[in-house]
Amino acid sequence: MGRRVVVLAVVLLQVGFVARAYWSDHKEFGFQMFPESSTWRADVVRVTADGRRVPVEQPWFGYRWDELVRDRGLRYPAFRHHADAGLDNQIAFLDAALDWVAGNTPRDRETRYLEATVTRWHNADRPRVEVLRSRMREGAG
Amino acid sequence: MNAAAIGLPRRVGGVVASLDELLGRPVSLRSLVVLRVLAGPAVLLHLQPFLSASLDGRIYSDAFYEPYAAWYPELPEALYVGLLWLAAVAAVAMSIGVLTRVATATVFGIVAYNLFLSTTHFHNNRAYLVVVLGLLAVAPLGRATGPAWPLWLLRFECAAVYGASGLSKLLDPDWFGGTVTWQRVVRARADLEGWVLPDWAVSLLTDRTFHTGAAKLIVLTELFIALGLWWRRTRYAAVWVAVVFHLTIEASAAVQVFSYLAICVLVVWAVPSTRDRVLRLDPASARHRRLGAAVRALDWLARFRVEPAPPGSALEVVDRDGTRVRGGPAVAFALSRLPLTAWFTLPVLLLPAVRRAR
Repeated sequence: MGRRVVVLAVVLLQVGFVARAYWSDHKEFGFQMFPESSTWRADVVRVTADGRRVPVEQPWFGYRWDELVRDRGLRYPAFRHHADAGLDNQIAFLDAALDWVAGNTPRDRETRYLEATVTRWHNADRPRVEVLRSRMREGAG
Repeated sequence: MNAAAIGLPRRVGGVVASLDELLGRPVSLRSLVVLRVLAGPAVLLHLQPFLSASLDGRIYSDAFYEPYAAWYPELPEALYVGLLWLAAVAAVAMSIGVLTRVATATVFGIVAYNLFLSTTHFHNNRAYLVVVLGLLAVAPLGRATGPAWPLWLLRFECAAVYGASGLSKLLDPDWFGGTVTWQRVVRARADLEGWVLPDWAVSLLTDRTFHTGAAKLIVLTELFIALGLWWRRTRYAAVWVAVVFHLTIEASAAVQVFSYLAICVLVVWAVPSTRDRVLRLDPASARHRRLGAAVRALDWLARFRVEPAPPGSALEVVDRDGTRVRGGPAVAFALSRLPLTAWFTLPVLLLPAVRRAR
């Protein structure tokens, strides 16, 4: 009985993960390899309390974007990159990275939020532009 | 109630009983032991970037990461780094056979914990490694034989990886139509031209029409591996194609431990019985003795019993079904059943002279 339950559970879980990969961003255990040839780039800026838009390529308060965000192809967002695990995956990571940076730069007293203007090329489709924003930071300005 | 309504529960009961017998049948777990030995290096390769970063004083939480769940426990840096090193030590122990059950469970626990620490840690090869380690951890590998269900689950997972990947490409018109591969190659044209490829090959690889066919070949290859592994008549071909497939991927993309791991997992498709073939050698023949030594050293799956034959006898292999093969074809057959030499010698079995000898 026990082994039947274990085998059935593993098989159903795996089939469930494979199905879920068709709509989830990160496709965990969905094994969709090399899913797209899509590319993307983004202009990421800090929007300060006085309305300035400062590119994150410029260090601020001792922080550097390329040290804060090292992984998942996000280190140099201004360059056009291949979206290794698909565009949805890549954009979800960028969105989460904006929030993480907003929440983990306590010396920064001027940034209200971070904003990324993302150009995404899905395979051979025409480019689409979208804007992502981090959560608002408290105490800026 | 009609006869059909009475018969259905009986049939369902019969299927469940057959399935239960299949899952519980005692089989040789030798292939899982071999996989456990081979999985150790995969774990070390997987841990290498984490350990390397820790030596530089960096861990995942020093830069952007994204927990899957707020409740997931995060350890102090020293403890986290200590766990990674413990996993590395346990991976070595797992491979060399020291405290194997504890070592395998430890490796699985730490690798899985690390994977689920952050969405940024997730990669398909790491997921596959966790699945393999999990199944190795629950399999009773301390015994010569054990219930078949861990082996069946590993086979299922192995096929699922190829099946899921192939199906996702089959259902995506951009993939199946060749757009995805064509664009990837065109963007890498500068790299291609940097290789030693002749101009005509570069032109062919960057031609849109070529990818209309090539993409279908890739998708069908993945699906062939996923399905072909399940049938004995196609299994050797599927394994052979899978090795080529992974070597091609390894040469053209950065996939961390995926190629190595996926090739290692293919051992689970060996028939789970041991010493059921006989290799008869003339101890007086130096050539026979060399082959015997090679078979003893490379027969990791314990396919053969090596027995002495009368002086002057031809080299002979007796297969499971009693079929006898002698001379050169016997050498090819024996080498085709050893993990390290199988890929090179399986095509030899297709030669007419070898086929006639069987």
